[in-house]
Amino acid sequence: MNLALTLSRSRDAAIVGTLGVVLLVAILFSLTVGAVAIPISDVMVILLKRLGLFAGVDVNGMHEIVMESIRLPRILLTVLIGGALGVSGAALQGLFRNPLVEPSLIGVSGGSAAFVVLVIVFGGAFALPNEGWAFDLVLPAVAFVGGLIATLLVLRLASQQGRTNIAVLVLVGVAMNAFCGAIIGLSIFFADENQLRTFTFWTLGDLGGATWAKCIIAAPVLIVAPALLLVHARALNALALGEAEAFHMGVDVERTKLKIILLSALAVGVSVSMSGMIGFIGLVIPHLIRILFHPDNRLVLPASILGGALLLVLSDIVARTVVMPSELPIGVVTAFIGAPFFMGLLIKAKKKNEL
Amino acid sequence: MYTASNLSYRVSHKAILNDVSLMLEPGKFTAVVGANGAGKSTLLRVMANELKPGSGQVIVNGKPIDQYGARELSKLRAVLPQSSQVPFAFSAEQIVRLGRHAHNTSHAANDAIVIEAMAMAGVDLFRQRTYLTLSGGEKQRVQFARVLAQVWDETLYPRYVLLDEPTASLDIAQQQHIFSVARQVCQRNIGVLAIVHDLNQAVQFADHLYFLKDGNVVAAGEAREVFTKSNIEETFCCRVNLYHDPCNNCPYIIPERPLTGNTDYQNLKLV
Repeated sequence: MNLALTLSRSRDAAIVGTLGVVLLVAILFSLTVGAVAIPISDVMVILLKRLGLFAGVDVNGMHEIVMESIRLPRILLTVLIGGALGVSGAALQGLFRNPLVEPSLIGVSGGSAAFVVLVIVFGGAFALPNEGWAFDLVLPAVAFVGGLIATLLVLRLASQQGRTNIAVLVLVGVAMNAFCGAIIGLSIFFADENQLRTFTFWTLGDLGGATWAKCIIAAPVLIVAPALLLVHARALNALALGEAEAFHMGVDVERTKLKIILLSALAVGVSVSMSGMIGFIGLVIPHLIRILFHPDNRLVLPASILGGALLLVLSDIVARTVVMPSELPIGVVTAFIGAPFFMGLLIKAKKKNEL
Repeated sequence: MYTASNLSYRVSHKAILNDVSLMLEPGKFTAVVGANGAGKSTLLRVMANELKPGSGQVIVNGKPIDQYGARELSKLRAVLPQSSQVPFAFSAEQIVRLGRHAHNTSHAANDAIVIEAMAMAGVDLFRQRTYLTLSGGEKQRVQFARVLAQVWDETLYPRYVLLDEPTASLDIAQQQHIFSVARQVCQRNIGVLAIVHDLNQAVQFADHLYFLKDGNVVAAGEAREVFTKSNIEETFCCRVNLYHDPCNNCPYIIPERPLTGNTDYQNLKLV
């Protein structure tokens, strides 16, 4: 019996468990803070009431309304999006065997942004709404469609005799992002002040618009896609040695590749469509996990879900509180919190020669 | 039995392999030698089902190789590439464990196999070391342990290991070590196919020897029978002298220095 190997497996479980507990604490804390401070006792009671317990206990009515209609949908969306971005980044980095990869590389974010700016600037000409609730609904839908079209186009262009050539895929992704950048630039050239502002805020990310309706649309995808990515953890480990090597070890490389790219595109596309572009999480969280612990994807993937959710929940707390009653764009905060932390870790890892 | 019959493979109009047939027996060490660009690596990749041959067929244990799924095939043949880049900081042990990817064996059984395979490849001391910090030779031995772990299980059917110049860039002690482990592996009902760069090593370790030149088999057979001056000179377009080493009881060659400093190898007149 080998003690070290058994220990490492139970240690992984402990890491994931600890992250889960920390995330839970962060969620509860997040529910208490904001323009209206809600004591933790009220938060607990309201949560338990939703589960059908403590039905008879009375709580502050306003607290209940704020929780029900604002904070709960928001925290749910935050957790789902953070997790989806984290695990998509981890899976794509593993698949491309490149630690610099982030979800935008396969064209998702670029396609979404291009479609969104087109609707914001030129939507009026096609009788699309440009304000109000209809606009709020159209924007996510358009972002999702744009992301999906761009990804499918990149995949199609990168396939060669039925195989996806990763080197070509990266180049096509770069070209696709440049093209989307050109569309965005051109649209901005024609945009007026107001449209410019709308688009700028969209690119910085925004969790403020969370509603139960959005949660219901997003939740199935943002739960199922990450869960299905977890299934590929072992195949991703084998792919770390290279595609030919993974095939030698029994991985059906082409199918695995296609599944991981489509699942990631789906998760990121839906996330971007719900909250705008939130950078950084998909790139950095998987690295943090690898540097802090080890690169086995059976740990990295689940830990990236929890880590991504944790970073986004913490960032959201900061975004909502520092300039109360206004709100900072969430993308600004994730980068402000994540980047220095990441640089510190890189310096440490460099010293230990682990990069 | 692992047989390749009449394999041809072309890239656009250039023939890389031309009607190559090769037979790999369980329990035997088969080596392929040939000049750079002779098609050795392509042959290995076709044999591994990584490339589809233009014509010809590879049959493994009585069944055409393209009828195996990736998973099924991986249980009876493992491949060691020339070198492997790993982008993330896996430990040596985690790399070896990847060899167990396709197997449904228990964690405990896998643990035991990982340890035994690492011991056999002489890397059991590096188990917790980060793969990225190992030297070239240590990395290659860890990869070798991974390949061994993949075909470790005692099965009723024979298994095979394909090695693509496994000792390129290793020092002589490491080279000898890898090849002697490869020979030991044969005793486990495993057939070994290795592309070997060093002719003296090829004849020292191999049971069967194939000479490959420009995609054609020049000579094949019992290693010591086909290890002749004329076969070597024809395959490599280089004059050699053949000697016998009484210590190893094994033939060896020393290449001749070109008299004129003429580097136009193709036009060397062979006598």
